[in-house]
Amino acid sequence: MNQNKRSKQWFYLTPSMILIGAIVIFPILYTGYISLTNMSLYHWKDFKVIGLANYGRALFKLDEGFLSALATTLLWTVVNMVLQIVAAFFIALGLNAPGMKLTRLYKTLLMVPWAMPSYVSILIWRVGIYNTDFGLLNKFRAALGLSRISYLAENVPAFLSCLVLNLWMAFPFMIMMFDAAMQSVDRSLLESASLDGAGFFMKVRYVLVPAIRPIMLPPIIMTAFTTFKQFDIFYLLTMQKGALTGSTLQTIITYAQQNAFVSNNYGLSSAVSMMIFVLICLFSLYSNRNIGREDEIG
Amino acid sequence: MSAKKVKNIGRLTILHLVYIILCLLALIPVIYVFTLSVSKGTGALSTGLLPKSITPDNYVRIFREEPFLQWLGNSVVLSVGTMILAMLTAVPAAYAYSRYRFKQRGTLLKSLLLLNAFPQILSMFAIFRLYKLLGLLNTRIGLIIVYAGSMCIFSIWNMKGYFDTIPVEIEEAARMDGATDLQTIAGIILPLARPAIIVTCVMVLIFVWNEYIFSTTFLLQEGQYSLAGGLYQLQSGDYSRSWPLFSAAAILVSVPILLVFFRIQKYMVSGLTAGGVKG
Repeated sequence: MNQNKRSKQWFYLTPSMILIGAIVIFPILYTGYISLTNMSLYHWKDFKVIGLANYGRALFKLDEGFLSALATTLLWTVVNMVLQIVAAFFIALGLNAPGMKLTRLYKTLLMVPWAMPSYVSILIWRVGIYNTDFGLLNKFRAALGLSRISYLAENVPAFLSCLVLNLWMAFPFMIMMFDAAMQSVDRSLLESASLDGAGFFMKVRYVLVPAIRPIMLPPIIMTAFTTFKQFDIFYLLTMQKGALTGSTLQTIITYAQQNAFVSNNYGLSSAVSMMIFVLICLFSLYSNRNIGREDEIG
Repeated sequence: MSAKKVKNIGRLTILHLVYIILCLLALIPVIYVFTLSVSKGTGALSTGLLPKSITPDNYVRIFREEPFLQWLGNSVVLSVGTMILAMLTAVPAAYAYSRYRFKQRGTLLKSLLLLNAFPQILSMFAIFRLYKLLGLLNTRIGLIIVYAGSMCIFSIWNMKGYFDTIPVEIEEAARMDGATDLQTIAGIILPLARPAIIVTCVMVLIFVWNEYIFSTTFLLQEGQYSLAGGLYQLQSGDYSRSWPLFSAAAILVSVPILLVFFRIQKYMVSGLTAGGVKG
């Protein structure tokens, strides 16, 4: 019976393990192996193992661009998260204001950017909003008699353009999460704080924020991961094949992808991929531990 | 008292104004694309935010001049194929993780989460090279396997959480009555877990429908383009000519997703928060 039961769970698990092994685990191991070789376009078949040279190249040769890509990625993640958390918090707070009507309608409309297929949204923004000739922004400027700007041609405007687009795409999720969290807060807590003479900011600071903190931590961490991993926006806005816009903005993910599929430095690209993987693993182990702690307190 | 009321009404009016502006900001890109898609000819340069006249021209042209139906067909094959493969592997696994207590269970579940944090795009080259050596490039089944592998972990976690909420006693009662394992699972567990299974299926479908980087890297022959590949090609060429076509295609691709999204939205929010809090 025991033997029978033991073999049964493996019978259920095997198909998924084969699939995950082949599509997730093996490619990671293979990437790890490629990262130790000099594989490139010229060494497609006759590559050889060169040890950690690719890692050294990425980390210690400044002109390879990995370190600046890493800096861009960190800046991108921090700016995005701060803006998203602060703005989404206040937007959700307004939706929960006493006496506020029509909130269902507002929420539904605000959710549209989240529901759109993301690559469609990005392409729409690329041509419909940012395009130099007939993007809405430049049409608006032209109507005011201002000169046209190519938003994606230089790094700083391109970074800001990507930022605005990412905020547009990411706000709905954050707002919904804050909204759900605020609705789960016990109203009587806020009311008793009012009776104790607490003003609006006191209530927000000492009652609302501590109450939603444990609920918001997981979605915020999840969003931090997706922001850190953001690839589509940078790629589709500024570095499509045959349609480079002139900005040289790279995040570590686009850096790895471009080195693999554009400049054909497979070894370097794989080394970068492995380092990103380790970073993400460390970060997720660390954040899981913190969530666990929050649960114990709450 | 009435002064306070007036103040309150003033505050709410300002709030409403803020939300109307926010909603407009959220909708303007979509409205603009819709306007372009129903505007005449190639007037992308002159079109304003709202349409002057409405014509279905661009929608007719996207079917006549571009192989839109073929892209659609390819996307449907990829989505449905992925869904079937992901479910065939993930449902039994979710069941096993939910019902059996074995030594490696905790470790396996945790490593699945860790693997899920790995951005699939980072191993894209490894898969690409592997597929090239195996002759799986430019095949739909190859891409389906990649998609199913990427979505398998998510599906397992998503459904395991729901299976956990179904009392074991129901199964035991059925076993007492002499039902076999297969009968118990097919007759009792699957029907009870239907909401979770449906939501997971829909999420897999949406994922494949919205995926472009693997589909534009792995399917390179023109007849194989999915919707993502087709739309990508429409906007990458000479804009001024194909931009109205692109806008019509963008609307056609987005509408089904919008409909599905708003139907399952309440599950998405509750599922994400519940899963998140449990860690």
